[in-house]
Amino acid sequence: MMSGNVSSENKNKLKAKLNWNWFLIAVILIEILIFGVTNPKFLNVSSMFRSMNDFVPIGIIGIFVTLVMITGGIDIQAGSIVGLTSIIIGVAWQDWGLNIWAAVALAVVIAILCGILTGFFIAYCGVQAMVATLGGSFLYAGLALMVSTMSNTPSYMGITNFPDAFRAMTKFKIGKISPGPAIVFLIVAVIMGIVLHKTKYGRKIFLVGVNPNAGSFSGINTKRVVLSTYVLSAIGAAIAGIVLTSYYNIAKSDLGSTFTMNIITVVVLGGTLSTGGKGNVLGTVLATIIIGLIKFGLPLCFGINAQYLDAPIGILLVVVLLGRALMVHPAFVNYRAKCKSRRQKAAA
Amino acid sequence: MNSLRTLLKKREMTSFFFLILLFAVVGCINPAFLAVSNIAACFNSSVVFVIISVGMAFTIMVGEIDVSVGSCLGMTAVVVGSMICNGASWAVAFAVGILIGIIVGCINGFGVAIMKAPSLIFTLGVNGILRGLMFIYTNGADVNNIPKSFKDISAKALPGIKITYYFIAALILTIIIHLLLTKTRKGRYVKAVGDNADGAKLVGIDPVKTKFLSYIICAVMASIAGILFCSRIGIVTTSSGNGYEMTAVAACVLGGISLTGGVGSVIGSAIGAVIMSSISYLLVFMGFSSNYNDAITGSILIVIVVVDSVMQIRSRLKLRHERLQARTRDDMVTEGENA
Repeated sequence: MMSGNVSSENKNKLKAKLNWNWFLIAVILIEILIFGVTNPKFLNVSSMFRSMNDFVPIGIIGIFVTLVMITGGIDIQAGSIVGLTSIIIGVAWQDWGLNIWAAVALAVVIAILCGILTGFFIAYCGVQAMVATLGGSFLYAGLALMVSTMSNTPSYMGITNFPDAFRAMTKFKIGKISPGPAIVFLIVAVIMGIVLHKTKYGRKIFLVGVNPNAGSFSGINTKRVVLSTYVLSAIGAAIAGIVLTSYYNIAKSDLGSTFTMNIITVVVLGGTLSTGGKGNVLGTVLATIIIGLIKFGLPLCFGINAQYLDAPIGILLVVVLLGRALMVHPAFVNYRAKCKSRRQKAAA
Repeated sequence: MNSLRTLLKKREMTSFFFLILLFAVVGCINPAFLAVSNIAACFNSSVVFVIISVGMAFTIMVGEIDVSVGSCLGMTAVVVGSMICNGASWAVAFAVGILIGIIVGCINGFGVAIMKAPSLIFTLGVNGILRGLMFIYTNGADVNNIPKSFKDISAKALPGIKITYYFIAALILTIIIHLLLTKTRKGRYVKAVGDNADGAKLVGIDPVKTKFLSYIICAVMASIAGILFCSRIGIVTTSSGNGYEMTAVAACVLGGISLTGGVGSVIGSAIGAVIMSSISYLLVFMGFSSNYNDAITGSILIVIVVVDSVMQIRSRLKLRHERLQARTRDDMVTEGENA
């Protein structure tokens, strides 16, 4: 009897997960349909890719932040690390005379150090993730600004004219399409999808999110797992910083300063629970595509100024949260159970 | 209970001493700082932050968070500013501003308190919506021809010590709220809910209502701050108030409020706000460029929370150790008696 209950519960959970991703896919299809009918230019693949490439860095970070959120934490410093990475690449290459690839390596190393620092405070000192990453976001944005003052170029202008090899990394073309950032996004998604869903390490991340005490009693070094997720999210931010710098051919210290809400939105819309223990990479990827299409479609098809787009994305986030909260709200659950029992009675 | 109260007292006293220490250190490096006008300027420039931090303290003390205050401030500033520019009476403009706060507070309260959505993410969404609405309302333009008579009030100050009436009003407001929170029964509900929502429910406190009210108070304080912002700065752009929510959270943390809820006081958050907004001013006197502002703010914030957290873990372990020792001692005594 018990085992039957448990397995049916598991089945329901699996169903819910699949349902959510199917729902996201349906939203994407509806979006394409509505935008495509309103303005056929929307279906032009090359311009669609151009627009998605603006948004893809957020998805790259979102995939890594998904892991952080599954452990029950949150990361609001990733946007600052994007700017820090970008400006370090620029300053190290232009003003310190480093080879461009050495500059990229240096930026990644520094981003990893940032992740280790914040992750250490969260995992080993017991600081709440929200506060530690808030402090981190101030600190790393400040560091980025300080690094930008070491350059001869004024920080508001940004460092530009990177070598062709560095730019070609993301700015190449296949036919009319320039899919560079999107390819990076896909590679990252596949790798992290395998890491999270197919490896031992991924199982540990879920277990830490469900119950850290049970995790540590079963021999998992929970602290190290938590620390590692923040390092990974810093690496994600570094990748996004590199992609942005290379794609736009500009290094600025405030490159990712407006990312935070978008990152959280793609992760939450993707079905990851902010309380931890549940989430998947595919959902985050689909959510990224949904928001990317909104950002491309609304200005193109309905003439909405791109600056207003905070509002629809905020509404999307709020509606998803309210809907999900309603599904687990005790009053609503009771109501549904009552309806169900009434229906069963009627059937009998 | 008594020891708990002294501990709480200590928390805000620590941040107060930290503020004095900060002033003293800067005074040692550059004696020119220790003039009445400079210290008064530190306090005067913090008015907006003090008000939003006091509001933020409510939501954090009930164990939630509100990161929509920055946009709520901006929205109010834009609407009130443009109304006053267009010749509406001040009273009407202020009433509309406060109304915006109440509406935003109701939305946040509905989502977080009634629907039980995760507060950080929900208010982040509301923040985005408000920021977008600000763009739609202003069409991307600045509100910059605010009448001089409105701007001049912000400069009026007590003769001699040069503290503006705005700061004095903010101070009195903070003290009144502090007294209401600590001396009245309804006020104590706030921390009780933050400390243990289920326990509070068992003794007859309605956590939903308390959280809902906290969100309304927080948003109304942000609206008041928006009106003051409009009067003090005299120009409102579409990015006004952007990021203020993070400064307010940092101010609360600096003031000794724990993000887990139930600990801290609004006095502490007001002191934290003064520290946060003074840093950029202090840096000038220490000969740093204002580029260091964020890095130093972040470092101070991280150091304080890490020290606080490590000390808490230590004291918890020590308490547990003492309890264990006491228990084993008791066992030995009873065993001895039995023998």
